[in-house]
Amino acid sequence: MKKKSVILLSLGIIFGLLVAGCAPSTPQPGRDSLVVAMGGNPVTLDPHGSNDQASSRVHRQIYETLIYQTESLDLVPALATSWTQIDELTFEFKLKAGVTFHNGEPLTASDVKFTLERALASAFIGHIVGPIDKESITVVDDLTIRFATTRPFAPLLTHLAHPAMAILNEKAVTEGGEDYGVNPVGTGPFKFVSWDFDEKVTLERFDDYHDAKALLREIVFRIIPDNTVRTIELETGGADIIFDIQPADVSRVDAEPTLTLVRDANLSVTYIGFNVEKAPFNDVRVRQAINLAIDMEAVVNTVYAGVGSPAKGPLGPNVFGANMDLDGWDRDVDAAKALLADAGFADGFTTTLWTNDNLQRVQIAEIVQNQLADVGITVEIVEVEWTKYLADTAAGLHDMFILGWTTVTADADYGLYALFHSSAKGTPGNRTFYGNARVDELLDLGRTTTDQAARLAAYKEAQEIIRNEAPWVFTWTGENISGTHSSVTGFLQHPAGHHRLDKVSFND
Amino acid sequence: MTVYSEKRQSLWLESWHRLRKNKAAVLGLVILVFLLFVAIFADVIAPFDFRTQNLNAVFVKPNATHWFGTDNFGRDIFSRVVYGSRISLQIGFIAVGIALLIGGFIGAVSGYFGGIFDILFMRLVDVMLAVPTILLAISIVAVLGPGITNLMIAVGVSSVPSYARIVRANVMSIKQMQYIEAARAMGSTNFRIILKHVIPNTLAPVIVQSTIGVAGAILSAAGLGFIGLGIQPPNPEWGSMLNAGRHFIRDHPHLTTYPGLAIMITILSLNLLGDGLRDVLDPKLKE
Amino acid sequence: MIKYIFRRILLVIPVMIGVSFLVFTMIHFTPGDPVITILGETASQESIDQLREELGLNDPFLVQYFTYVRNIVVDQDLGRSYVTNRPVASEIISRYPNTLKLALLGVLVSISIGIPLGIISAVKQYTWIDNVAMFFALIGVSMPIFWQGILLIILFSVTLRILPSSGFNTWQQMILPALTLGTGSAAIVARMTRSSMLEVYRQDYIRTARSKGLGEFTVVVRHALRNTLIPVVTIIGLQFGFLLGGAIVTETIFSIPGVGRLMVDAIRQRDMLIVQGGVLVIAFTFSLINLFVDIMYAFLDPKIRAQYK
Repeated sequence: MKKKSVILLSLGIIFGLLVAGCAPSTPQPGRDSLVVAMGGNPVTLDPHGSNDQASSRVHRQIYETLIYQTESLDLVPALATSWTQIDELTFEFKLKAGVTFHNGEPLTASDVKFTLERALASAFIGHIVGPIDKESITVVDDLTIRFATTRPFAPLLTHLAHPAMAILNEKAVTEGGEDYGVNPVGTGPFKFVSWDFDEKVTLERFDDYHDAKALLREIVFRIIPDNTVRTIELETGGADIIFDIQPADVSRVDAEPTLTLVRDANLSVTYIGFNVEKAPFNDVRVRQAINLAIDMEAVVNTVYAGVGSPAKGPLGPNVFGANMDLDGWDRDVDAAKALLADAGFADGFTTTLWTNDNLQRVQIAEIVQNQLADVGITVEIVEVEWTKYLADTAAGLHDMFILGWTTVTADADYGLYALFHSSAKGTPGNRTFYGNARVDELLDLGRTTTDQAARLAAYKEAQEIIRNEAPWVFTWTGENISGTHSSVTGFLQHPAGHHRLDKVSFND
Repeated sequence: MTVYSEKRQSLWLESWHRLRKNKAAVLGLVILVFLLFVAIFADVIAPFDFRTQNLNAVFVKPNATHWFGTDNFGRDIFSRVVYGSRISLQIGFIAVGIALLIGGFIGAVSGYFGGIFDILFMRLVDVMLAVPTILLAISIVAVLGPGITNLMIAVGVSSVPSYARIVRANVMSIKQMQYIEAARAMGSTNFRIILKHVIPNTLAPVIVQSTIGVAGAILSAAGLGFIGLGIQPPNPEWGSMLNAGRHFIRDHPHLTTYPGLAIMITILSLNLLGDGLRDVLDPKLKE
Repeated sequence: MIKYIFRRILLVIPVMIGVSFLVFTMIHFTPGDPVITILGETASQESIDQLREELGLNDPFLVQYFTYVRNIVVDQDLGRSYVTNRPVASEIISRYPNTLKLALLGVLVSISIGIPLGIISAVKQYTWIDNVAMFFALIGVSMPIFWQGILLIILFSVTLRILPSSGFNTWQQMILPALTLGTGSAAIVARMTRSSMLEVYRQDYIRTARSKGLGEFTVVVRHALRNTLIPVVTIIGLQFGFLLGGAIVTETIFSIPGVGRLMVDAIRQRDMLIVQGGVLVIAFTFSLINLFVDIMYAFLDPKIRAQYK
């Protein structure tokens, strides 16, 4: 009897504590601290120390670039107030006066020189600085900097707007030494406070900001790797904004009256590539037949629960130069079989399809496997571990593979050159080993001429050829999907995924 | 020598009689036999192919046609669970088989011969034991790459140390027994002694450990699936079904419930049987 | 006794060297290049070569290993992560307390479920109570950890809204992870307690105690329990290692910054020095726990204690 009552009592106490310990999840009015949850774990807050999305999402708030690419992808002045092209290769930038870094140092042209030189030496982002000539970087005066590219490079300005091109403070970087990545100093609306690895990064409003100050006092980035749990945190008040809602949860967040679903097309595309140097994919008819055999509508509906759309070309719809008028490959099993028979594969063949462990890619692979069975092609799905995946597809060991690409600069050069130019085979990005003299010519033209109309025409033609020669099965163009509590206002998504948060606030 | 084998036989028989009295163990055994039956006759039992997708009938709730409903590809979950028993049980048994072979060999040799073998092997075992099993398994999968075979090797090799230890301890105690001395005196070779006397006498604890080890291996495989090092699709291994279904767990729990229950029942039956065997075979517990 | 402890600590050193060499070798022969993972799909061959040189990956295998060991021994330096460029020591130290806390809480859960169930089961051996108790203990071990974790979150965080689903700072946040992790080994503790208790039960001194007319409760608690606990302590020690492993999954589900998550990420990124450092720290902890278990053993068992006087 006594034992029983002790057990009951302790159960009661535990339950009482549980209920008492449960804080009410409704946000209090007048809050000035925003909790943002994301899945990825930032690597470093040194923009030259890595090139990953999670890091950019945080350091986007801390740093600024010379030029800002807005949410609608326009290029507007940021740390540079104006710029002029002096000759075919040389640009001059005027810096904004009165800009201070978070450590109190003023922004000068020598910081920009230092930053560019350091970026050029970085293995992580060197390719973004691209063809800037290190020797040409000149400080004209305290607020004027001049530099040239080694060859004509039309997309230079969009590259300078890339978050990795954040302007650093020379003194802070030198003082920080090897540990600069955990002591970042920028000119942005928020300054760095603390970082609990794998858990959260805390930023605070920078009160000496040179432009309109951030509306909130504090931002906390929480790292919540599990997609389901991240959505639950939004629902239960553990986060005010969450990034990357998984397709399965989209309708749930949408239906919840206290939550707002934010979705916009992003700059990414997923594709199924063929190794065009390897039989049978060296035969264009085989590649076309596979294109005809796959129904992308079904892929998008099943795998992505209606998020995003079937890709119509190699570029996302809001990338400059995207050709949205390409003919689609509507599913036609008979036509596909005829093409295969033509190519000498009337009875189909057996091949492999590689994917990494990305859930959606695995599911795409499963659907493709099923659909290709209808035309007699037996597909074995091979899940390859990420490192090996990148190495082996670069080495051309694969048959078919699924991969994605994000055109961060929103310019066709970034989205086509590395993927389809014959000089970019292997590691740089052309993992289909596709090569076509005319495409090379067009991509070179697009890269060098500054005449935007000519560039557009060149890119449209290149995409036409790529569509017909089919080194890819265009698969999916994605969306950025975030969710916010409905009390959050001013949240705008950037197509490249690193959303600025200085205009965000709570309406009470 | 025949005296011993007869005695041994009666020992096994007696154990069997006592096992039959243990209701929980019998239940475990019955379920296990049933699961093996399902695995063997999966082709006959499963009403649908485990691969066939029907994108027009996804997330169907359990009904008369699809007893466990359909998954996100419209595949019949009942058929997948049925076929999955093959893969999951295979992983469990083969992984333990690998562990048993290697661990048993190491344990028997070091226990029986002692000396340098013992020192070398046991230091290796110490080193392996100092690393958590799952971490060891993850590293092995990382080295070998994903796939069913590699998964079995990884799970198996990572549990070698515990078998090596058990076998060694038993062999060492058996080695002291008089009948081994007697056999040696009669000129039996080491190999013969190990085969005829040592191994049969270490069987009891090894059987108990293996029964529970199979359960552990199935769970380890599921855990590796969660980390993304599991089985290639569309193979319906229970762990990878559970892992693929967890993204839909809030709207369509049936995707995870059935493979989850299948795992639970399997683990439960193996444990019930293992516990029963331990009660029966452990000489210290004899009444 | 002190001499014994000292000798045991010395024995840890060769094991650590073995562990470090084993891990180093394994990672070295793991296909895939850390540089490629770090730089991602957009990297050029030049930047790959550049970074590989910077990280010293072009040195022969043994040179890399001895440089590593030398740095630890001479400079007490575990190196820096290839990925984040932060010191390995600080990466581990910032997460280690969480993992340790999680594992300890897991042990606590498994003891508080396992031992009572084991005792009840033994006292009522072969009755329906025995069966029900063991059945409940087994439910915990039968569920894959990640499934159990998500179900607990859905029940307690979503439906009941009484516990948070992520983080590891307040005690509310610790309940679900501890439950998820601990119930798995509760069954093992229960099973061990049961069989150990059964064995003790047959000893003469228990019969004596009973014959003295002591109540069953007193017999169990005062006489049987202490001796029952000896093998149970060993199992708990072993479980601790198991829990350190289970922490990997638990940490991911509940967004806990721990060593397990760090290790999995590091293995996938081939961040060799982090894997090295992490395994060493875990192995060292594990060895210390085994040492502690042996001392507890000596403490609980007068016969063993006598040996080391």
